[in-house]
Amino acid sequence: MELKKVIVIGTGTMGQGIAQWFLQQHLDVEMVDSNHDFAKKSHAKILEQLDTLASRGKLSADDVAKFKPRLNVVTLEQVDPNSDLVVEAIIEDLEVKKDLFKKIDELMSDKTIIASNTSSFPITELGKNLRDSRKPNFLGLHFFNPATIMKLVEVINGLETNKDISNEILSWFNSRGKVAVLCADAPGFIVNRVARNFYGESLRAVENYDLKLITEVDLVMREVGGFKMGPFELMDLIGIDVNLNVTESVYKAFFDEPRFKPHRLQKEMVNAQRLGRKSKKGFYLYE
Amino acid sequence: MNDNSNTLVVIDDNHPLYEVIKPHFEVRNAKDALASFDTYELIIDLTAMRTKGKIAFLKELSRTTKAEIISDLTLSWGEMVLKECPKISGALSLLFFSPTQKVEYFAKNEHTKSLIEKFLTVINKSGIEHSHLRLGFHYPRAISMIVNEAYFALGENLATKEAIDLAMKNGVNYPLGPVEWGEKIGLKYIIDLLTEYSEITQDPRYRIAQELKMTGKYI
Repeated sequence: MELKKVIVIGTGTMGQGIAQWFLQQHLDVEMVDSNHDFAKKSHAKILEQLDTLASRGKLSADDVAKFKPRLNVVTLEQVDPNSDLVVEAIIEDLEVKKDLFKKIDELMSDKTIIASNTSSFPITELGKNLRDSRKPNFLGLHFFNPATIMKLVEVINGLETNKDISNEILSWFNSRGKVAVLCADAPGFIVNRVARNFYGESLRAVENYDLKLITEVDLVMREVGGFKMGPFELMDLIGIDVNLNVTESVYKAFFDEPRFKPHRLQKEMVNAQRLGRKSKKGFYLYE
Repeated sequence: MNDNSNTLVVIDDNHPLYEVIKPHFEVRNAKDALASFDTYELIIDLTAMRTKGKIAFLKELSRTTKAEIISDLTLSWGEMVLKECPKISGALSLLFFSPTQKVEYFAKNEHTKSLIEKFLTVINKSGIEHSHLRLGFHYPRAISMIVNEAYFALGENLATKEAIDLAMKNGVNYPLGPVEWGEKIGLKYIIDLLTEYSEITQDPRYRIAQELKMTGKYI
C-alpha cells in the first residue's frame, strides 16, 4: 500500500496531531473543519510546532521547509476526491459523525479509504449510511494523544471492512514507526476497555473523597505498579468528565456490565465542576 | 548466625520469592513453623492464603509464639485479618510481582514500620506505606482487575494477547502489557484474589474471565 495524500477532518487536539504526524511521513495533508477559522489556527499551530522541532534539532530545517507547503486547509467541498485516505477526528457525536461520513462517501473516489478516529462508537454503526461499495474501505484508526508521540494506532475492523485493506494499513503504519494493532469492533476497543479498571478499582479503594487516600493510591500505583501517573492524577489530566463519559459509554455498550460501572465519586466530582486540571480543581487543586 | 538470626520467615518453597529470601533468613513452611519450639523476636509470614485460612493460621501462630508477627495479606481481607488477629503488628503485599521491586505495606506503629523496611532492604526491595488497610492493598486489587479484563478481551477474540500487550504499553505507557504482567504475577494468585473479593463483597464486578481460569488452570 502506498499513501500519498490524506485528509484529516476535525482539527482539534487529535486532528492536529494526526495531521502533523502524516505530514512528517512526507504525505500531502488537507485539513478540514466545520469552523474554517479554527482549522486555519490549527494549521498555524502545526507550522509553529514544526519550527520548534527544527530549533530543537528534532527535525531538519530542510524537512520542515518541504513539509510546510504540503499542509493545506480546505473546506469539505474543496477536498481532493482522489486522496488515498480520510481520517475523521471530529467531536464524539454519533449522528454528526454518521452524517459526515455520508457526505465524505459522496465526495470521495471509490478507492479512497475512510477511517474514523472514534474512541467509543462501533465502526459498523458509523459506516451504516455508506454506500455498500464503500463499506469494505471503511475502518477505525484510533490514534492516541499526542498523536505525534504516542506510537499506538488501533486498527479496527467493522463487520464489512475488507481485511486485506486493514492488514495493509496496519503494515503501512508499522513501517512508519507506529505500533499498529488489529482489533475487533467492540466497545472501548483495546485500550479504553482494558484501562477502565485502572480508574474504577482505584475509585472503589477510595469510595468517598479523601485527598490523603487519593494521594496514597496514586503514589502506590506509580511507585509499586510502575505506572507513569496514578489513576487520580491521570483522571485530572484527561478530564474527570471525559473519563466518566468514556466509562458510561463502555458500560452502556456492554449492556450494564458491572465491571465497567461508573463510580458515584466520578459523578460527584463532575457535578461539582471539579473536572481536573482544565478547571483548576479536580481530585487535586491546581491553583 | 547472621544479623537476621532472630527472624523467622514462614514461606512455602513454591513462593515466587522463596529463593530470594532463603539465603538471608531462617525459613520454614507453615506446618513446620507451627511445630517449632524455637524462639524468635520477629516472624514474617509470607504464606499465600485467603482470609479464612490466614486467620486460622495466624491465630495458631500467635498462640505458639511471643514473637512480633508481620504477615503478607495480599490475598486476604486485610481489615478482617487485623481485627481477628490483633497480635499482628503489620502487613505487607510481597506476593505480587512489582515492576519496580517496591512493596506496599501497612504498619501499626513506627517500630513495625522500621522492621518491615529493614526486612525489605535485606531482599533488595523498598516499601511504600499504605495507611489504612481495608479490603486489601491498592496495587494487587487494581492490577488483578486489569489483567482479568485483558483475559475477558482475549476470550472474546477482541485481539491477540500480543496486540493487547502492545496496545497498553504504547497507548497508555503501561510498564508491562497486562497478559505478560499476569504471567509474571502468577495467574493462580490473581484468580485467588478475585475469588476472595467476589466472596467478600458479593459484587459481580469481580467475576473472573473464563479465559483467565482456563489459562491459569483453575479447576
